[in-house]
Amino acid sequence: MSRRSPLLYRKPPMGRIRTGGDKTGGGGTYREWAMMVIRFSHGFSRSALVLGGLLLAGLPLMLGHAQCKPPDEMKARIQGKPNAAAYTDLGVWFANQKNYACATDAFATSLQMDPTQKDLAHVAFMLGVSLYFQNDAKEAIPALQEAEQLGYKDNQLHVILASALEGEHSTKEAEAEWRAALDVDPELSTALDALSADLLLDKDFHGIIASLEVPRLLGQRTARQSMNLGAAYASTGQLDKAAAVLRDGLNTSPDSAAIANQLATVLVELNRTDEAVTALELAVAQHPEDAEAKAKLAKAREALASGK
Amino acid sequence: MFPDFRALPWLKIKPLALFTLCAAAVLSAGLMATQTGAPGLHRLLAPVYAAQDAPRTLSPISFDYPEDGSIFPPGITPPMFIWRDAAGTSWSIDITFADKGAPIHAVAKGERMHIGAIDPDTVADSNSPPKLTLQQAASWTWTPDARTWAAIQADSVDQPATVVITGYRDGGVAFSRSQIRMTTSRDPVSAPIFYRDVPLMPSAGVNGVVSPLAPTAIHLIHWRLRDITKPESHTVLKDMPTCANCHSFSADGKTFGMDIDGPANDKGLYALVPVQKHMTIQGKDMVHWNPAGDIGKTRVGFMSQVSPDGRYVLSTFAGPSLKLLESYYVTNFMDYRFLQVFFPTRGVLAWYDRSTGVRTPLPGADDPKYVQTDGVWSPDGKYIVFARAEARDPRPPGQGKATHALDANETQIQYDLYRVPFNEGKGGVAEPIAGASHNGMSNNFPKISPDGRWLVFVQCKNGQLMRPDSQLYIVPAEGGTPRRMRANTRLMNSWHSWSPNGRWLVFSSKARSPYTQMYLTHIDADGNDSPAILIDNATAANRAVNIPEFVNIPADGIDDIQVHVADEPAVAAALPKAANGTN
Repeated sequence: MSRRSPLLYRKPPMGRIRTGGDKTGGGGTYREWAMMVIRFSHGFSRSALVLGGLLLAGLPLMLGHAQCKPPDEMKARIQGKPNAAAYTDLGVWFANQKNYACATDAFATSLQMDPTQKDLAHVAFMLGVSLYFQNDAKEAIPALQEAEQLGYKDNQLHVILASALEGEHSTKEAEAEWRAALDVDPELSTALDALSADLLLDKDFHGIIASLEVPRLLGQRTARQSMNLGAAYASTGQLDKAAAVLRDGLNTSPDSAAIANQLATVLVELNRTDEAVTALELAVAQHPEDAEAKAKLAKAREALASGK
Repeated sequence: MFPDFRALPWLKIKPLALFTLCAAAVLSAGLMATQTGAPGLHRLLAPVYAAQDAPRTLSPISFDYPEDGSIFPPGITPPMFIWRDAAGTSWSIDITFADKGAPIHAVAKGERMHIGAIDPDTVADSNSPPKLTLQQAASWTWTPDARTWAAIQADSVDQPATVVITGYRDGGVAFSRSQIRMTTSRDPVSAPIFYRDVPLMPSAGVNGVVSPLAPTAIHLIHWRLRDITKPESHTVLKDMPTCANCHSFSADGKTFGMDIDGPANDKGLYALVPVQKHMTIQGKDMVHWNPAGDIGKTRVGFMSQVSPDGRYVLSTFAGPSLKLLESYYVTNFMDYRFLQVFFPTRGVLAWYDRSTGVRTPLPGADDPKYVQTDGVWSPDGKYIVFARAEARDPRPPGQGKATHALDANETQIQYDLYRVPFNEGKGGVAEPIAGASHNGMSNNFPKISPDGRWLVFVQCKNGQLMRPDSQLYIVPAEGGTPRRMRANTRLMNSWHSWSPNGRWLVFSSKARSPYTQMYLTHIDADGNDSPAILIDNATAANRAVNIPEFVNIPADGIDDIQVHVADEPAVAAALPKAANGTN
């Protein structure tokens, strides 16, 4: 918050645009205000067109802020004939400079200036992404959800929204977004990793198996997916399958001490202690600092020596 | 605008990680080669396993290719053995044979998988360079030299060879091991494969309409011939100014047919020429499915098939009053991996008689209540197998736009396979084929074995052919219990074709890469098939191969095909156009 111009947080002139019971109408952050405008325009586009004009008077003096310095060409464009497209372009420029705070404000301004603009959904998306890149997941979520409701089609919307929802511990909603992302790209590792982790938290083991035990995904299985799938099989009593999945995962990710440890646990459960010892010896050789692997190895060796 | 967040750091994490992994792979491969020197390959009379084997329990290696039970055609070029191993840092390969063959021992250099040569002409913003999957990036490989492979093949005919890979570390202590069994078939492939070699470069026009390939890139499509005993394919046709699609050879290998696009989206031209060493397609060789010239309307020839004796051509045609977009569901995507969905929703089968020049609907497959497509001839030419579904509007009012392959917004269609007598063109009653119909799935692209006993077809949830979930099934030609083929890979299995001797099937798949590759499977007398065998080096790593078809000619039976149809004014006027079936 402190990175942004205080001007951007002044209360917008909302008194003129009351929308009935909308609680955000009287104040809140700039983004909340922008979101209200989006929602308002979605339902009452003609009125919102008028609103956009009214809002021009309340535009913040973004360009005056030290952190938001656009190139001269853009500055001239904004100062000469400001319009929503110019602010959107400015937001894109700031975003490409990784200045997401200024990008956020530019996109919000664009939305305020023209809540009926053709690219409303896209600008809302960009607003949400800019917020997300500032680690402001809480405010990114409504912007991204609004973009989704406005019909914005891009798989990155689902991915970023899901990530933001994860950040806010809205696991169920995040799961839905991960699934939406996977509908578009069934091989998306980010989504499969996160979804399977969420399902593991939910103890939805069959859901994990259904999500990950798909032939198409076999070549792409990440270490996390192997562990989550292994855990799902183990939790449903399918220890042989768990061992096979974890073994395969370890062969793909030989450096993963976590997989080796999990595999060893399953192998011990299966009374294949000798195999567990081999797996743990490799893990300890690669990760001498791994206390868990060392302890397990010692225990497994002891069990092996005692014939258990 | 700002939509491409791939340019931003947050979304660069994955590619960066992959790049790092690939770089590490390359480096480690180089180091490994340095450490092991040039181990070569030796036949040894010594015991198969290394003497320093400790009595420890060996960690299982993931043996990825060839799969256990693989059957190789005789004479095929040496395959790359591929495995993953968390334990080993060096490997030995020991091959033993069931009969008298002396065991073979080799030391693997420990080479990583790598991406093959890239065609710079087909690099585009709309595609990505081929990347190794996580599994591939973690894989180790060994390719026998030609002499060793010949020895393996010679001693594994009928009786399987056992291939054992053992991983060593810590100065030669065995830590890991796995094995597979593989056989060399007595059945030769005995015919070359004709296929299309295409770029995957979807293109958005100025109006936002996506084409599978920009008109300016159509010349990048090549047609090639592959003798599987040779290390690379031979290009027989390229730089064609218009787009050609499905091709078909008569069973006797004497006649070649190919759909060629004509003026103003008229897909009503068909080339029919005799197969020769040096072939030329000229205007006089063109059949006009659209002689009335009602451009954009009509009688689109689709999946045309030359009869076994080359006399007839069977094809799918829309009714005369239907426009192209009223008969086909066509959606193209910018995702190069699966960039097109294409299937007919209306149409009848008709047969064309080359001797009379007359095209006639085939009774039993000409009912406008249905879409009837994918017609193929039985080897004796006596009956036709085709795919059928209730006819429908390809784009029902209110239907959303599909944004990716298998999107729920795709028009839904599930075909059933039917069989109808040809009966000298008089047709008959179409009967559903048990095991390939009314099963809730889409059954399509039937191909009958040369002995007439088997039918291999594609099954998927929706549409036909090159779908991500396409799987190959085999069923007795007269119907019966279908069997999912062992050769199916993890992603897209379609465009199959029988070898003339009926013992091999070639098909396309995206198992290893979004850039489609060709595979072989052996099929025995009982219809049992074997794990997929990759046909290596069929094209550049960033090009796709599809529509493979065995041609009943000698391996060098076609040297080149010249296309001079552009000399014909009607065709020349149409150039260039977009391609179909480029997945």
